[in-house]
Amino acid sequence: MAKTPHREWAMIIDLDKCTGCGACVVACHAENNVPIQTEQEIARGRGIHWIHIERYWEGAFPRVKANFLPLLCQQCERAPCEPVCPVYASVRSDRENLNLQVYNRCVGTRYCQNNDPYKVRFFNWFEPVFDEPLNQQLNPDVTVRSAGVMEKCTFCVQRIRRAEERALAENRALRDGEVIPACVQTCPPSALVFGDLADPNSAVAKLAGDRRKFKLLEHLGTEPAIVYLKGGESNVRA
Amino acid sequence: MTRGITRREFIRIGVVGAAAAVLTGCLPPRAWVVLEPYVRPPEEQLAGVATWYASTCRQCPAGCGIVVRIMNGRALKIEGNPEHPLNRGKLCARGQAGVQLLYHPDRLSGPAQQTQRGTRQFKSLSWNDALNLLYSKLQAAGSATAVWGDSTMSGHLADIFARYTKAISAPAPIFFDLYTLFNGYSVLSKTNQQLFGSSALPIYDLAHADVVFSFGADFLSAALSQTRYGVEYGAFRSQPLGKRGFLVQLEPRMTITGAKADRWHAIKPGAEGLIAQAIASIIADQKLGSVERQTRAQTVAARVDVNSVAAASGLSVDDLTNLARIFAAADHPIAIPGAALNGQNNVAQAASAVQALNIIAGNIAQPGGMGMSASAPAGLIKPTPSSFADAQALVEQMRAGRIQALLVHGANPAFDLPDKIGFADAVKNVPFVVSFAPIVDETARYADLILPDRTYLESWGYDVVAPSFGQPIVSGQQPVVTPVFDARATADVMLTVARGIPAAARALPYADEVAFLKETVAALGSGAAGGAGADVLWARFQQHGGWWQSTIPAATPLQSKITAPITVSSTQFQGDEKEYPYFLHLFLSDLLSDGRGAKLPWLQGSPDPMTTIAWQTWVEMHPETAQKLGITSAQVEVGFQRGTLISDVVQVTSPFGAIEAPVYAHPGIRPDTIAIPIGQGHTDDGRYARDRGANALRLVGAQADATGSSLLWAGVRVKIARTGRQISLATFEFTPGVTRGFINAAFPGQ
Amino acid sequence: MSERKTDQAFWRRPAIADETEAHQIEDVRQQHLLLDPRYPLDSDRDVLDPMYRSSKRYWFFFALFAGLVLMMFTTWTVQMWLGLGITGLKRPTMWALYIVNFVYFIGIGHAGTFISAALRVLKVEWRRPISRAAELVTVFGLMTAALFPLIHLGRTWKFYWLIPYPNERQLWPSFHSPLLWDLTAITTYLSCSILFAYISLLPDLAMARDHTSGWRHILYSVLALGWRGTEREWSNHETALNIFSYAIIPVMFSVHTIVSWDFAMAIQPGWHSTIFGPYFVVGALFSGAGAVIIALTIIRKAMRLQYFLRTEHLEGMAKLMLLLSFAWDYFYFNDVLVPWYGQAPVEKSLFALFASGRVAPLFYLMIFANAIVPVTLVFKRVRTSIVGLFIVSLFIQIGMYIERFLIVPVGLGQNEIPFAWGVYVPYLPESLISIGAFGLVIFLFFLISRFFPLIPSWEVYEGQVLQGLRRIGRAILPTRAEPD
Repeated sequence: MAKTPHREWAMIIDLDKCTGCGACVVACHAENNVPIQTEQEIARGRGIHWIHIERYWEGAFPRVKANFLPLLCQQCERAPCEPVCPVYASVRSDRENLNLQVYNRCVGTRYCQNNDPYKVRFFNWFEPVFDEPLNQQLNPDVTVRSAGVMEKCTFCVQRIRRAEERALAENRALRDGEVIPACVQTCPPSALVFGDLADPNSAVAKLAGDRRKFKLLEHLGTEPAIVYLKGGESNVRA
Repeated sequence: MTRGITRREFIRIGVVGAAAAVLTGCLPPRAWVVLEPYVRPPEEQLAGVATWYASTCRQCPAGCGIVVRIMNGRALKIEGNPEHPLNRGKLCARGQAGVQLLYHPDRLSGPAQQTQRGTRQFKSLSWNDALNLLYSKLQAAGSATAVWGDSTMSGHLADIFARYTKAISAPAPIFFDLYTLFNGYSVLSKTNQQLFGSSALPIYDLAHADVVFSFGADFLSAALSQTRYGVEYGAFRSQPLGKRGFLVQLEPRMTITGAKADRWHAIKPGAEGLIAQAIASIIADQKLGSVERQTRAQTVAARVDVNSVAAASGLSVDDLTNLARIFAAADHPIAIPGAALNGQNNVAQAASAVQALNIIAGNIAQPGGMGMSASAPAGLIKPTPSSFADAQALVEQMRAGRIQALLVHGANPAFDLPDKIGFADAVKNVPFVVSFAPIVDETARYADLILPDRTYLESWGYDVVAPSFGQPIVSGQQPVVTPVFDARATADVMLTVARGIPAAARALPYADEVAFLKETVAALGSGAAGGAGADVLWARFQQHGGWWQSTIPAATPLQSKITAPITVSSTQFQGDEKEYPYFLHLFLSDLLSDGRGAKLPWLQGSPDPMTTIAWQTWVEMHPETAQKLGITSAQVEVGFQRGTLISDVVQVTSPFGAIEAPVYAHPGIRPDTIAIPIGQGHTDDGRYARDRGANALRLVGAQADATGSSLLWAGVRVKIARTGRQISLATFEFTPGVTRGFINAAFPGQ
Repeated sequence: MSERKTDQAFWRRPAIADETEAHQIEDVRQQHLLLDPRYPLDSDRDVLDPMYRSSKRYWFFFALFAGLVLMMFTTWTVQMWLGLGITGLKRPTMWALYIVNFVYFIGIGHAGTFISAALRVLKVEWRRPISRAAELVTVFGLMTAALFPLIHLGRTWKFYWLIPYPNERQLWPSFHSPLLWDLTAITTYLSCSILFAYISLLPDLAMARDHTSGWRHILYSVLALGWRGTEREWSNHETALNIFSYAIIPVMFSVHTIVSWDFAMAIQPGWHSTIFGPYFVVGALFSGAGAVIIALTIIRKAMRLQYFLRTEHLEGMAKLMLLLSFAWDYFYFNDVLVPWYGQAPVEKSLFALFASGRVAPLFYLMIFANAIVPVTLVFKRVRTSIVGLFIVSLFIQIGMYIERFLIVPVGLGQNEIPFAWGVYVPYLPESLISIGAFGLVIFLFFLISRFFPLIPSWEVYEGQVLQGLRRIGRAILPTRAEPD
């Protein structure tokens, strides 16, 4: 097998463009077999949404502002969730800058979630339920996680693999924009952009230099692979 | 729920997989019954390799193009069709959830006869018996047949219904649902007819606009064309040369569009039209902007007393002047009328006043301005949403016993209409009601016969995109999997029945719907996909997910037909101010839209963007209002077996009815306004929707506005009373953390 | 035991000069067990008798605690069957009552070693009769604590993946994880503690063997490993215990330090603290000492061991507890002061929560129980009152349990992402399992009290042999001989 080049998968989230519409949330549920929790479970704080929109308030009425923050696994270069896992279920792939979660290795210590400053890891408290025939929709590329297992955003690693295999079969390099996670694919205003940061000509590499960039909880030194772009300002004549 | 796959299932899957490939080819639909063993799979069907089929999303009337990922005969994932000129590969949350409609566990398998209405006691029928029953009843009913469709109906079915009713001299079908009512399709058509002589839906070219004034238009949510406006919004924020558009939102309750606005004004409900008029008036009086704009303003704007508008709208005179300056000074300003003004008694004037701002701006049919939706290509039908008056008239006809047979397709009038309209009573006087609902909904409970239609992922059809930006688009719809349940396409049912009714048989001489569709598509001629000949065109239509031209035709210039200045009367509110101290602001839920999404678990269980509540109906009020009323909202409950956020359940009472729902303290709502989302409160419609939340339409009366376009669903006053009950709010956020944890930090760690 | 000349036997009472001296001596004897020797067979009888005779009351409580244990294991089974969802755990309080119990019971497990090993090394004589009970508290506390990580696991049946066992896929556990350090430390500590307790039990097992017949005789014969009481055996025994005592002390300190690292190594605000190591050790000793006092008072009353367990022992423990309370205060103050000075937002919000929020009652109860109630121990009347000591110890248990509760689920409830904060409330399953865990410790005591002597009679004899009363002038003074 040919040697796969080093990659730095990264995502740019332009907060100026994110409308909080929730398309990414549902797309992720569809792509990754993320189970929907019941009303009681959500009320108890057990909702599972690998990507979700956090809405923060700023200011007070009437000058109030709501800020949407799409939050998903930050795929940190120095992920705090990794070293604490005693069984290497949360493990790093340096080759592609991904933070992998090995579901069948997870024993459910839930330490990774405690040590995850972004709180984007979700635990399966019960066996997930997909009423028949809704289970026919389940994506065969993605494991359905059983009870007692931690799960999280994978940057749609199954799509990365499929694209890599296709490129390999066609004996060519992966093109920028060829790998698109479900959330990025669907985002109507294209607030989410995905690509390989190691490729200087990729869309993400260009956007990552934007002056509006920041990383979430940067002071923790986790070095996330997700770069946020702050909301912009318009000049208007009045 | 993972489980082992049995041998029997494996064979079944194999058969389904093979057959799925067959039906998408160019074979006649009779080929569907051919069962292929998996040992000899069709060439495009490889185990473990996905195939994508193009179709059309039917979760709302917008008509976005989709591609569906099929593996082993199962629909796995819907994505936007990247070739489609409307949504350009993007899709909203509701579009993504379409597969759950296909595989909904409560879908009916086979026709069902309800022995007594409302009992849900269904007798299973064979399709032959059911068709015979339908035939005999329709023949007996003759011209006293009515069709109640909805705005998402495929064009070919609407066409068939229209031809059928015309042939038997029955009233034309009506296409009425809550989605189009709330978004004011009928209002906008009528306004455009008056202002520009075109009844098409307006489109707003945000991508090239620099200033957008949204008068309560939540265009990023469940409005006209959510996905396209999302695409437009993205372009609006990142225009060439680092330009970034400026969005002003005027609304009483912060929507997601309001959250994205650069300037958000919490105006009084019902003041949208007045503000638009005041802005026009200020531009005219203070001679703001270019000379052309001043002149146009002087002709279209009736002068108003800015001070009185300021008092009535909750904006200061300075704010109004400032807004007028911004609008007048902008290169490409746009004004968008929102949903709320569609439910006010002055709807026609208010919508005209907002559209008049576009006339003043001189942006009509210009880049970065307002345009008109392209009209449907000849021979193709787009179900035009009926006005509220039409729906009301049909209900009255039913009440009067003049309707012998009612066919309900897609629409759910028993849920979509306020109780006061009395659909439930009126339908009692209709001897025979047929529902084509795949899942038993509220209306199907009143039906005598249910002939489940196929859901859109297993159906043929087309949709003329409206609003369509710049060019006529026909989205093609094809079955992407073999039918999951024993359902039959309504178009085929109608064609079969029509054969027995001589007048209809002459109007509908088609073997089946595919023959009919093929003929329609062939008439379109060659589009961007090219090709010639009926078969090739038909194949390309399916392959690319529709028909459109590769070049965008130049916009037809539009002339303002305004002769007299537009005056906006102030909004009248129903309910005494003393008794009912709060304004009621209803809005379509972002995810559930008008309630159609409520049956899909992905939409039910995903957090609402503004409140993060799932599965529930909530009452939004300002934290101060809640405090004043002594209402607990999203407080931590640490009692036994809890640890959840609890909220007081309040009773919201209007002069027309009352509902109960928990309170969510919303920092972005006026203290004198109460907002409730539409979408929940189903009494049927599958296990995920049933008996969940409350239907806020109960608070609305049956009155139409003067023009009959709309129902007066806004402009209602309510009062609030605590019920003493508390329930756990199903929020995804920890509300006290967000509201009191880190105040005034834009984001954590900032 | 080697033969001694009867006229010099240590249990002989010395001749008394006058009545004053008789009173003096009587007074000293009453106060000090080691100066109040008696005929060894009497002592042996007192130690062994409760093992054979079980009252109805014993069986009642035995059944009660057995029921609690049964309840615990039934609930655990149900939890494994249905999923952890039946508990009150949620995002973000992924660790809650089970981990609180884990830390608490590990903490309890510190007292035993400290008392029997550290005080042994320091030659603190009053520890002699209580060392057995303390060691058993250690062993049972650790055994119960070790259950909790298993109960806590999402997939308990895969727990062995944490163990570095050779397997064909060459999958090893990650030694980066504090949980693995935990596993290593706890298994080491548990095996050391069991061995330590067993070695110190050997002479007593031999004694029991010599006094029993039937199955007990066989059992003790086997367990006593052929102990005959030769000088060589005693000398080896002494050496072994000394080596163990020195070796186990660092293990003890490391164990709770490592437990604290489960928290301190995390970047969770409120956990990420360098002081957690010593702070947790002190807290563990503090609660452990309290637990030993509770165990002693109950054993003393229930098994009529008033001769062995006297006020002096409890008072000694009380003084230790008072000292540890001050140490705890100091560490807690540090743990609060430093983050407070830092004014990091999450920690600030945690302090607000403690001071005036939802958990304020718990917080103040903890301060009251851990810092204020133990101060009463400065009064001799409290130190020497068994009821008083019992109550103080109970308060300390409550206080320390709350302290762990405030650290684990309450601390986790507030993190860097206010959107994902949460409130943890124990649900029925984990409450039942926690109650059952206390039941388990007590049940194990009930069980062991029928099999093994709870008083190390050899240690008492040894003390009594080594100590005596001498008259110097008018004063009667205790003397102590150093063994070779």
